[in-house]
Amino acid sequence: MDTNLIVEKVNEFLIEEFEVDGEDISPEADLKETLDLDSLDYVDLVVAIEATFGVKLVGEDFVGVDNFQKFYDLIEKKVNS
Amino acid sequence: MKYALITGGSRGIGRAIAVKIAKELQYPILVNYQSNDIAANETKKIIEDEGGSCTLLKFNVADINDTHQVLDTWMEENPDATIEVIVNNAGITRDGLFMWMKPEDWHDVLNISLNGFYNVTNHLVQKMLTNRYGRIINLVSVSGVKGTAGQVNYSAAKGALVAATKALAQEIAKRKITVNAVAPGFIKTDMTAEMDEKELKRMIPVNRFGEAEEVADLVSFLASKKSSYITGEVININGGIYS
Repeated sequence: MDTNLIVEKVNEFLIEEFEVDGEDISPEADLKETLDLDSLDYVDLVVAIEATFGVKLVGEDFVGVDNFQKFYDLIEKKVNS
Repeated sequence: MKYALITGGSRGIGRAIAVKIAKELQYPILVNYQSNDIAANETKKIIEDEGGSCTLLKFNVADINDTHQVLDTWMEENPDATIEVIVNNAGITRDGLFMWMKPEDWHDVLNISLNGFYNVTNHLVQKMLTNRYGRIINLVSVSGVKGTAGQVNYSAAKGALVAATKALAQEIAKRKITVNAVAPGFIKTDMTAEMDEKELKRMIPVNRFGEAEEVADLVSFLASKKSSYITGEVININGGIYS
């Protein structure tokens, strides 16, 4: 899947399901802070990713994923593997 | 549709809980059992005769693959279903003095009571978290709270389950999921059938063994919406034998 399409789809569900302002999303922005995630909220991310891309992430996949770019990269890697 | 799952629900306390939750909370019931088809079907019949709905799920909670396979198959067949209540009741005893205890008696008891809790609950909790509501009730025992001579394996398994109850309760409370433990003392079931009630009741302040239905009443309350502010608790139901 094309990188731009992944970014577009990810931003779409983040804006819709996490009620984040699209303007706050940028590749270098802090993922946890921008989305106001606590540890349990990752389960919602996992479910949204699975519903959108058909891939299942686990907790350890998020290690080191602290900004949006790394989050897009993670999904791209999973989708295209 | 929202369901309640009771592990080890074919007989004894598990059956009483399944029947009670079906009747009082109107949940369709999933009764897990390991091998006793006749008893499981009797439980199903009791629930259905009282106007409830019951599905039997035969798997060994100690076997993670078996557990996941049966639950996954059921969830695939029921994509709109949500398991809102989990009652981890499955358990066995293999009593004996610790110095003579065989490895299989140690492991079998821990595998069913403790690993069974993990195998079932861990597999279902993610969906519960996304639904932002749930009730998890773990059947422990007075043995798991005070320890009982001759039951080092059972006491260890139930004691660990008490600690897991308290830890998990703190972890997921924010999502309106409560996790509590119920610790029965001497209750009239197959598990206590060979005990000398006349002799033992002398040390019980209430002066009798408890009924499975009394435990079911408590579990049904904890499974209801009325218990929303109770979590991480271990509630003794033992006729005053220990507090």
